[in-house]
Amino acid sequence: MIWLWIMNIILVVSAVLLIGLLKGVLGAAKSITPTINAIAGVAGAISKDLDAVVVLLTTQNYISQIVGSVANYGGSLDVALPDA
Amino acid sequence: MDTVVVVPLAFMSLALAVMLVLITAIIAALALFLTATIVQLVKINRGLSVVIGGVGEIVAKTAPVNGVLDAINGNLVAGRNLLENLFIKKAGDDAGGLVESLFPGEGAKFLQRVGRRGPVVNTGVVYTRGVIILASLGRGAPIGAAHAKGPAVRDPQYSTTAASMLYPRPGGDPKARPKSPVVGSGVPQRYEAATTPGVRPRNRDGSDAPAPSAAPDMPTGRIEYRQPEAAPPASGGGGDAPADPGRLNVKGKRPWER
Repeated sequence: MIWLWIMNIILVVSAVLLIGLLKGVLGAAKSITPTINAIAGVAGAISKDLDAVVVLLTTQNYISQIVGSVANYGGSLDVALPDA
Repeated sequence: MDTVVVVPLAFMSLALAVMLVLITAIIAALALFLTATIVQLVKINRGLSVVIGGVGEIVAKTAPVNGVLDAINGNLVAGRNLLENLFIKKAGDDAGGLVESLFPGEGAKFLQRVGRRGPVVNTGVVYTRGVIILASLGRGAPIGAAHAKGPAVRDPQYSTTAASMLYPRPGGDPKARPKSPVVGSGVPQRYEAATTPGVRPRNRDGSDAPAPSAAPDMPTGRIEYRQPEAAPPASGGGGDAPADPGRLNVKGKRPWER
């Protein structure tokens, strides 16, 4: 009979610990959800901002033209100015 | 079934009953919390699905960036090398000093990058920028007036003014005009600006100069004949004088007086 009461006490303690742990897991899981939603919003905004990456191709074209103009200018300076 | 369960409970002790209640409560709590946790994990899974889609778009849109940036960087490096080589070709050993004068602290780095050695003398400290430009244009700027290790020649606050004072500016700053060449009392002699070339509005003593005696010859559109003057008497020195002595050459002399 005593053993039964001891088992009851152990069960009570175990139930308290188990409920505490499960509550912690549930709280962590609930805290992840808003973070995931925030990350989804930021990812969408980043994806929208990256639409301007296509302009880099235009920039590359401009850079090539500018470097060509600089090369022509350097050639003219090479002819106009005497060497050291 | 009811007899199987109810009959033992009737004879069950209080401790056993408490144990059964506790076990039931534990199982119920497990079921409740695990169900709530599963619901939250399902929500997380749905959210991650949305995030994965956005991340995939980001990866797809940033994929060509590396190639484009490498191409841009290559073009810029080629342009930089071209200008640096041209600069070294034209400036020679003064290249590091010129870079140092424009970007303090970068002269030594520039020489190290292009693989050259030597002292870096800040040319901007010794010469003004205008002097260097005039010297490069062959205008005879007074470079070399100071040693490279000496004090700065230019005015640190009005360096461009100091460079502009080297040569007179017509109609500009009076300080830059050439001095009067007149030597004596009452100098410097200041003249008023003439409105007509060759006509001075005032004499040197300050009195008004007389107006021009006659208007300058203007074309009338008519042919006029002038009577030639009498020929000079024949003498020993002008034996070969032409018959028409009125004709002068461009120097104002007659042909036989050359």
